[in-house]
Amino acid sequence: MSFLAKVYDVELRSIMKKFQNNVVVQDFNLQVEQGEFISFLGPSGCGKTTTLNMIAGFLEPDGGDLLIKGQRMNGVPPYKRELGMVFQTYSLFPHMTVAENIAYGLKLRKVNKAEMKERVDRVLSLVKLPNVADRYPKQLSGGQRQRIAIARALVIEPSLLLLDEPLSNLDAKLREELRDELKRLHHEIGVTTIFVTHDQEEALSLSDRIVVLNHGFVEQIGTPLEIYNEPASEFVHTFIGKTNRLEGEVVEVNGDRLTVRTNDGMLIQAAKQTRSFAPNQKVIAFVRPEKIQLSATASSDAENNVKGELQIASFLGSFTECEVKVGGNTLSVKVQKLIDKATEQEAAKGIICYWNAEDVLVMPTERG
Amino acid sequence: MSKRLSVTLLTAPALIVLLGVFLIPMLLMLLLSFQDAKQAFTLENYALFFQDTFYLEILWRTIRVSLWTVLATLVLGYPVAMFMAQATGKMRGIVTMCILAPHLISVVIRNFGWVVVLGEKGWINETLIALGIIETPLRLLYNELGVVIGLTDSFIAYMVLALATSLYSIDPSLNKAASILGASRTRTFFSVTLPLSLPGIVAGTTLVFSLSMSAFVTPALMGGTSVKVIPVLAYEQIMSTLNWPLGAALAFLLLGSTIMLVSLYTKLIENKRYKEVFAS
Amino acid sequence: MKKINVLGLITFLVIILVNLPFLVIIPSSFTAAGYLAFPPEGFSWKWYAMILDRPEFIDSFWTSIKLATISAILATVLGTLAAFALSKYKFRGSGFINALMLSPLTVPSLIIGISALLFFTRIGIAGTFMGLLLAHILISIPYVVRLVLTGLSSFDYTLEKAGYMLGAHPLRVFWDITLPLVRPAIASGMIFSFLTSFDNVTVSLFLVAPDTTTLPLAIFSYMQETLDPLVASISSVVILLSLVFIILLEKVYGLERLFGLNSQSH
Repeated sequence: MSFLAKVYDVELRSIMKKFQNNVVVQDFNLQVEQGEFISFLGPSGCGKTTTLNMIAGFLEPDGGDLLIKGQRMNGVPPYKRELGMVFQTYSLFPHMTVAENIAYGLKLRKVNKAEMKERVDRVLSLVKLPNVADRYPKQLSGGQRQRIAIARALVIEPSLLLLDEPLSNLDAKLREELRDELKRLHHEIGVTTIFVTHDQEEALSLSDRIVVLNHGFVEQIGTPLEIYNEPASEFVHTFIGKTNRLEGEVVEVNGDRLTVRTNDGMLIQAAKQTRSFAPNQKVIAFVRPEKIQLSATASSDAENNVKGELQIASFLGSFTECEVKVGGNTLSVKVQKLIDKATEQEAAKGIICYWNAEDVLVMPTERG
Repeated sequence: MSKRLSVTLLTAPALIVLLGVFLIPMLLMLLLSFQDAKQAFTLENYALFFQDTFYLEILWRTIRVSLWTVLATLVLGYPVAMFMAQATGKMRGIVTMCILAPHLISVVIRNFGWVVVLGEKGWINETLIALGIIETPLRLLYNELGVVIGLTDSFIAYMVLALATSLYSIDPSLNKAASILGASRTRTFFSVTLPLSLPGIVAGTTLVFSLSMSAFVTPALMGGTSVKVIPVLAYEQIMSTLNWPLGAALAFLLLGSTIMLVSLYTKLIENKRYKEVFAS
Repeated sequence: MKKINVLGLITFLVIILVNLPFLVIIPSSFTAAGYLAFPPEGFSWKWYAMILDRPEFIDSFWTSIKLATISAILATVLGTLAAFALSKYKFRGSGFINALMLSPLTVPSLIIGISALLFFTRIGIAGTFMGLLLAHILISIPYVVRLVLTGLSSFDYTLEKAGYMLGAHPLRVFWDITLPLVRPAIASGMIFSFLTSFDNVTVSLFLVAPDTTTLPLAIFSYMQETLDPLVASISSVVILLSLVFIILLEKVYGLERLFGLNSQSH
């Protein structure tokens, strides 16, 4: 290794893993800088937990190299890797008190009693649970247990923190609360973190960068903004947030502007496209529901105006989700206002959907 | 059909059998143990037990043999239960079958097999002599060792079951948590697995102890005339000497001692911390 | 991984240990010699042929078969009915009745045997088939109740309600809906009861008579006097018979599940 080569906190080089003849992780390359919060995001079975287990040492890669702080870790058992990990089921030792749970890692490292107590108390106040030291895990709520699990992982001051879907077992409100906690903790401590989740909201709100995985393949690695606005593939785009999908073909190309005719004749204007297309190319046009507006009359500013009939309007608190039939398609539209019955009836007879050309994402049709 | 009537009709037949073959007879037996030859109330049967050191020695032997059996089944059974806990479903099923199936064959036959193996002219002795390892046969039968071997064979299945049930319920990610915190495999066993399997250990040891204390067939067949235990004495009093009251008293004394010892044991182990962690 | 190999080795040794009696008995029964030896000397069926000359074994064998069959059927019927009552109806005292049904399991066989002898002598059925039958039914009921209760615990009674709504009357609902779902549990209860009765020694010990005895006890008495290959051959017959039922039990229900070890958590 030349001294010019940069040492990353975590580096995955062409990591591959298979179970029997099934390849579950394929050619995973990643470089994580010190202090970064990285999320592995994808549906179940995409390989995110498998990869995390390889970083932790519970599974060995069948190909490729795993480096932590520049040291090759292939074959090193988990208890020699000096990492912190939080599990989906918290995994607090039921037969130990909270303090004993947290101190366990310190006991193994032969820290003296006084320092142990000090560090345990410190980390307990860090996770805002200073008074539960002598309780047993079963006496704590789900959210509290999770925070203790985090405390136990952090007290040993690991170089890397791994989190395996830590919020999945919590109810919605608690999940949001703990998400903010994690963000605060990461801000305060700055430990390099790898976070596995299937929830895109979590990934978007917490991460510096997201790795989107699909069936063992890395679809894209990028910042939340990049993943959301510049998806590398249809999978990434449709996995994150809801979207409207319209198949068609390119009619006209003008620099970074396109005109697409959908399969049932609707013409869509798209602007600021980063990909290049040829006329008559088969493509898919995407537009997010929140980018579409509804109005009784057409908009002169928006390049896309189509007429349709409102089918369903669902009031969801801070916004209303609408389904509008336009030609042969049903567009999903998210508007931030309440639609009363009268408007609903009017819109059922006829309503205009409009959106800007730059809010359209065009992608080539993927074979197969 | 009212609920009450349904319940009564459905449970009555079984309850009648329980009453007539179990509860009433046991009550009768209890009463009988307090009778003398003239059917008057007396404590002499029980008193005899405490006065004559003969009976206390036999009780002590019964306890001793039971304790050795508990130890043997625990030491041999724990690794088996651990293996089952770590094994795949298929392997687990095979091991379960191999360990539990013998249990469903009569104890008389199992003990006979051991006699063939352990006897003076049995398989072990003949083999060792033929190999030149020993000259005179080892005394493996008709002594306490033989009884303990027989009882261990009889009851190891119960120990494995109790331990396995406990081990199966341990959250597998706890091992991972300990590992990532820096604990080696041995350390993880002593810090996590062993403490959390304590309920299984308690269940297994008390069960095997109770069963060993009241075992009759194995001590009778493999202990010979020199190794008598309380159940054998009780049998002799009832069937040979025809001193039913004494036999009944001996049986109840055995039961009482077992219950007392088990209670003492559980009280010692199930301290405050145990209850906090394991009580549901 | 090193650790599993050590565990696997010990497990293998323990399996050999608990099966050693059978591995020794069966070959020994084929010996051509006149005495008991392992390994056997020569090969002969004579010790099996000799069984036929022994009325005490033949008679006790049939007694055991009859006893096991009848007690299994009756214990299953009684236990199943009781289990249904306990599972379906929530009534005050159901916990008590439940504990009562299982109580024979907590009392040593020795005491059950002695107390049965004392009581049966009083009412004149000691040493009779009837006495043995009642005792065997008693010791089997707890197993049946426990098994059927477990089988019913996962039964969703709203299925019965759905049946009623669709127009089926109670007996029909029981036959078409409830029974099929608990059949494995009931069947396993019956097979287990059969084996429990057939194998039983300690309780039966006090209730047999010279003309009414069970096979295990006939073997037991014979063993007190002589140890010859005849014991091996008759034992082999019992082993074979038991194996048939064990395999049946495994197929119908599963030994793992029977003893409460189904891998639900893993």
